Amino acid sequence: MVKRMFTKPLSWIERALFIDFIKGLSVTIRHAFSKTITTHYPYEKLTPPKRFRGFFGHKVVDGNEPQPAYDEWVERFKIEVIPGRSRCVVCMLCKRACPVPQLFEIEGEKLENGNRVVKVFNMNLMLCTFCGFCVDACPVDCLFQSDIHETASYTRRDSILDLELLERIGKDWQMRRENEPDRIWIDDSQRDRLWKENDLNLPEPATKGRHEW
Amino acid sequence: MEGVVAGLIVITIKILVILAIALGVGAFLTWVERKVAAHIQRRPGPMVVGWHGLLQPIADGLKLITKEDLFPGRGNRFLYNLAIVLALVPATLVFALIPFGPEFEVLGITVKPILTDVNVAILLVFGLGSLAVYAIALAGWASNSKYPLIGSMRKAGIIISYEVAITFAVMGPLILGGTLSTYQLVQNQIEQNLWYVWVQPIAFVVYMFSLLAETGRVPFDIQEAEAELVTGFTVEYGGMKFGIFPLVEWYIEVLTLSAIAVVLFFGGWSPINIPFVGFVDPLFFLGPLSPYVWFLLKVTFLFLFILWLHWTLPRYRIDQITEIAWKVMLPLALINIVLTAIIAPLIWR
Repeated sequence: MVKRMFTKPLSWIERALFIDFIKGLSVTIRHAFSKTITTHYPYEKLTPPKRFRGFFGHKVVDGNEPQPAYDEWVERFKIEVIPGRSRCVVCMLCKRACPVPQLFEIEGEKLENGNRVVKVFNMNLMLCTFCGFCVDACPVDCLFQSDIHETASYTRRDSILDLELLERIGKDWQMRRENEPDRIWIDDSQRDRLWKENDLNLPEPATKGRHEW
Repeated sequence: MEGVVAGLIVITIKILVILAIALGVGAFLTWVERKVAAHIQRRPGPMVVGWHGLLQPIADGLKLITKEDLFPGRGNRFLYNLAIVLALVPATLVFALIPFGPEFEVLGITVKPILTDVNVAILLVFGLGSLAVYAIALAGWASNSKYPLIGSMRKAGIIISYEVAITFAVMGPLILGGTLSTYQLVQNQIEQNLWYVWVQPIAFVVYMFSLLAETGRVPFDIQEAEAELVTGFTVEYGGMKFGIFPLVEWYIEVLTLSAIAVVLFFGGWSPINIPFVGFVDPLFFLGPLSPYVWFLLKVTFLFLFILWLHWTLPRYRIDQITEIAWKVMLPLALINIVLTAIIAPLIWR
């Protein structure tokens, strides 16, 4: 197979007749009369993918917790499980994983019956880079990143997410998108359709003869 | 006495009409440019203010007028403000020399739709065009800042190179027309049944290159190269003072030079010309309005073509620009003069 390194330079007659100009102009005129691809943002909004790294949230206790990890952590820390409230077990692993740990402010509370529950969970998003290390670290699938990407606020106070807000984001997200299939795997039919829509011809994954290598 | 009064009234009306066209259309063309640029990049452009963003120029103007008026610390305030006037006035004055149509009669007065039909109009056009460089050089100097100075020096280099080329390029049509008056040039083209572009393609190409260079359009927008010089000589200007420069350079100058190109090469207000056949007028049903529509159409097409070029081509380097001017365009223009001198007697008959 012949590999094409670069195009031949134009001959002087092609340059005198502005062939290169005409080629470029034909490209732009074709684009000028084709349909625009803009989303008219405040009036129309795109739905980000399910795994979008937006604002943080706390998933709430609803019976879909990762087992047996959740029960083990609840047992270890003697956590009071309240349905409809945050799954947080106050293990501080998110704070440990964070590159800027001071953005987390986490406190637990001991109830009268001896069990514990999360009381304060503040995240100062002024310091956050949305790297997602805390989400990876969370052992009970509590902290996660939602599809909320409009993060601007009028005051500095509004950039701090407290426990109540995190739970509200979590509940909202679980209601809307929990059951949506993930589009992370290459063999996912949904994802495949997305590639096709964009006219991308990706090669088939070479799973067939792999054991023969 | 009555003749003088009538003449004054006519001239006042002409001035008002031309100023309205120059400044009103000039501002509106910012919207046209943004739309064309956007669609070439597959965006819709301004859409929110008014129908398809039609009121956007007004919103922009209001914003620019209400902005704070900044002045650089050790600049020269007199020259700083003089530069704006020097940019606006000569560019607008060129409109005085553009014939919009044939002469007509209103209330027994014969009116030529041209402000002053001077017999050295073309000379005056390029004289006023060269004055634009003073505005930019002064703007760069008075700002007392590095980027504006570099930008204005570049622009001065370009204008000096291309003024020579453009002057020799228009010699061709001038030889064929045998006059320097813009009105008479169009009349001669109609009498000779010929658009000069058919016999002067080289001159037209040189003229277009020089037009792009003089108005600071891509591929010759080196004086305000955003990536290198921020915006060149306008860096230290703010508010409406900043707005005047692009308005003058990109819109009013392009409009006037396009109109002059139409006068020189496309027969002004005459309808479509086919060589050896004559004039064909598909707009005959407009009657006496048809010449004006033809003139407007030609200028519009030329302006849109320049926008199209602007949003297609990349930028040349400063040494490449001057090299093209001196090594390619000037010899071409000189060859063209010789060729024209040979074929001119055939055109005159």
